[in-house]
Amino acid sequence: MSLLVLSNISKSFGPVNVLHHANMSVDAGEVVGLVGDNGAGKSTLMKIITGIYKADAGDITLDGQSILHLDPGERRAMGIEMIYQDLALAKQQDVASNIFLGREPVKSFLGIIPGMVDKRTMDRKAQEMIDRLGANLPAINRPVGTFSGGQQQTIAIARALTFDPRVVIMDEPTAALAVREVQSVLDLIRQLKKQGIAVILISHRLNDVLSVTDRIVVLRHGRTEANLTTSQTTMTKVVSAIVGGDDMEAAAAHESAG
Amino acid sequence: MSPQPNAVTKPGLWRRAQIKSEERLHVRLESLLVLIGLGVIMSFLSPYFLSVSNFLNILLATSTIGVLAIAATFVLGSGGLDLSLGSVMGLSGVAGAFVAVNLGLPSALGVAAGIGAGAAAGYINGKLVTRAFVPAFIVTLGMMGLARGLALVISDGRVIYGLPSALLYLGQGRPFGIPMPVIIFFTVVLITHYILAFTRFGRYTLAIGDNENAARTAGIDVATHRVILYTLSGGLAGLAGMLFMARINSGDPTAGISYELTAITAAIIGGTNLFGGRGSILGAVIGALIMGVLQNGLNLLAVQSYYQIMAIGAVLIFAVFIDQYQIRKAADT
Amino acid sequence: MLRIAKKINRFTATAAVAVALTLGGGSAAFAQDGEYAILMKTLANPFWGAMGLGVEEGAAEAGVAYFIQAVESDQAAESQLNVCNTMLERKPVAMITAAINSTNLLPCLKAAQESGIKVVDLDGNLDPDILAAEGIEITFRIGSDNVAAGAQGADYMVSQLGADAVGAILVIEGLSGNITGQKRASGFADRLAELAPGLEIVASLPGDWDRGKAATITNDIMIRNPNLLGIFAANDGMALGAVESVFAAGKGGDVVIIGVDGNSDAVKSIKSGRLSASVAQLPYLVGKQAVENVQRALAGEDVPSNVDVPTMVLTQEILAAGTEPMLEFVK
Repeated sequence: MSLLVLSNISKSFGPVNVLHHANMSVDAGEVVGLVGDNGAGKSTLMKIITGIYKADAGDITLDGQSILHLDPGERRAMGIEMIYQDLALAKQQDVASNIFLGREPVKSFLGIIPGMVDKRTMDRKAQEMIDRLGANLPAINRPVGTFSGGQQQTIAIARALTFDPRVVIMDEPTAALAVREVQSVLDLIRQLKKQGIAVILISHRLNDVLSVTDRIVVLRHGRTEANLTTSQTTMTKVVSAIVGGDDMEAAAAHESAG
Repeated sequence: MSPQPNAVTKPGLWRRAQIKSEERLHVRLESLLVLIGLGVIMSFLSPYFLSVSNFLNILLATSTIGVLAIAATFVLGSGGLDLSLGSVMGLSGVAGAFVAVNLGLPSALGVAAGIGAGAAAGYINGKLVTRAFVPAFIVTLGMMGLARGLALVISDGRVIYGLPSALLYLGQGRPFGIPMPVIIFFTVVLITHYILAFTRFGRYTLAIGDNENAARTAGIDVATHRVILYTLSGGLAGLAGMLFMARINSGDPTAGISYELTAITAAIIGGTNLFGGRGSILGAVIGALIMGVLQNGLNLLAVQSYYQIMAIGAVLIFAVFIDQYQIRKAADT
Repeated sequence: MLRIAKKINRFTATAAVAVALTLGGGSAAFAQDGEYAILMKTLANPFWGAMGLGVEEGAAEAGVAYFIQAVESDQAAESQLNVCNTMLERKPVAMITAAINSTNLLPCLKAAQESGIKVVDLDGNLDPDILAAEGIEITFRIGSDNVAAGAQGADYMVSQLGADAVGAILVIEGLSGNITGQKRASGFADRLAELAPGLEIVASLPGDWDRGKAATITNDIMIRNPNLLGIFAANDGMALGAVESVFAAGKGGDVVIIGVDGNSDAVKSIKSGRLSASVAQLPYLVGKQAVENVQRALAGEDVPSNVDVPTMVLTQEILAAGTEPMLEFVK
């Protein structure tokens, strides 16, 4: 049985149908690529997993249990983490505040007054996680908005990994990065796989997807168009599924070149 | 991801003092220095400035605006705006006086009515902003008119005079020689500073103001949080109304006209970001005190009120300029 | 180290410049013994400005030290209270106050009384009943007699229309609930009924001291009563609003319009034959006499608890002749 299963998910925004009976699943220690053209419904599907959107129909199970009724915070507590393309960082807050946002450890002040956030523990754990990722930040107590794009990405990843996730969804994690930084993101994905974490990778960079995933799910017009095993497929087949066969040759050539 | 070729230099004494001040007190060192500097200058300029009775006088004069500045800090910090603070303060004073004087009910009910009226106005603000998606500027501008009008209707445009002695004590009592409004103000500062700086509620407030989407993806119920913030803001405005009402022994329907702007100014001088994400209660209190000390000193020197308005405008621009200057410098390093 | 010093220097330098700038407009920075503290509403109004001038010149003539403060608007009630408290820190011998409303200065006046400072009500803004309830005994109240001012307006109206005239009169009151406006309006109405029973007040409406509002009221009433004979407004600003409506309706000269205050705009309008008359208060004289009476009270002499400063009717003839001795106090 797969760890996370999406079955027959439908979603529309007013008159616009974004998803029709979309299906996908991911196993522990498996990396699944989710690809599709712009507007194919990838981000919507992911936001339905994290609970930001509610599905109109269909079911989502984690370990066979439906999680449809849970809110975003509860789903995160069950181990579903997402790294957003815009990173979803609060730029004026420091590193630890971002990593622990919504999950701050609490102690009592002077042993009487409850509800004091334990900032010292947060800072310590945040530093540990940053070190574990092999990243170098000039200072942990600075607003994250003062860091570079790559450093901010590190913080977003650190946030996803701090609470022992079971499923990590990455939305275009390499889109804005330099070549060297792309490699370290791909290495990180392989590491997560080794630790038995399920990874869903959304990316337009098909070369990255082919090099790091076990399976590739293709969305087209809100439907699951294909479910390919990476080792048995080619760039051409993936592109063909994305664009639906038309102009396949040209599109494939373009992708290989780019 | 990868190590940046960033030369980590040991920060200078000034920078370390800045960081200490921000981390420990949640106060920008600059605003603290401006306050101290002003105090020093005023002590030289006026022989009357440096006395216990004058300091208590400054604190008493700052207590209403200070409470409103705290309310403004919560709302601004969350990326919201409450323009109804001054009017709600006026409404609360009239509501409290009406219950305690015209209806002759116990003083405690008067206070409850005053703070309750403020909180109710804030709750309506919050609901309209989050559920009806009307911009905060419009909602609270409308509430500004509604609350002021209601205050005039309830009081028939006249001050409601003659509070029972228990209520008077709130404004005019002096336990240990310290005016009651100052004691209440300090208590509110301690509680709200703890909430904003050290609790999850406070962190979520600033996170929402910083990046609402990030807060939502972190599982924070943004809409409910905002409703609570506006209700808190209204409740604090109600408390400010009670303090002023008790001080002058009457509910004045014109109390607090344009106070929202003074309160917002104090919050911003204290380092709150006008567009959310950053805010400090102690900072707002320092901002209010900077204005209070300036006003007090200029009054002692018998400087005309026109020049005082100019001086406060100049201090606002100066304080925000320093803030932006520091932020840009931090971004450069 | 040097960097910090430089930064701190910059803060203090800027602050010092700000203070120095503001000092340019201030009066004596250091207090002397026996100062009079004068607290006005706001100086951004010719009436209060003239009264302030009277205080200053009266103090200069009497050779007493004084300092004068005002707030940013005539609605800044709490501001005025805070300024009042601060003024007490300079330990003046007398506190001459024009309170914004009947209660906002109470705690300060009480504190002043407890420190033996003489309290004076400038222009009658305080309510005797409330003062009694608070246990505050003011030294005296000084100001114009507003009832008498209204009556003087009625006298002039009747002198123009004749005691046998029959027709409609409009009264524009001040801010609803404001005691000054009420006194002027009732003083006018009572005297009018006495002198010319044929003149009927067809409407008495609050113009809220607002020129535009007064103009609107005048328009509305002229539609209902096209043969309106006279208008009495509780201040000049509203009277001038009424003038605009009357002239715009092509009835200029047919309606007797009377205001109260005698401010400079009104004087101009009277000279050009638009406004018929204004019952001039003499704020300059009020200010001057306030200081003189405080001096007397401090010297232990008897001062009446209620000092009425006379008012006078300004008309085109009086202004043109310029012989009336009290005209020198119209500022």
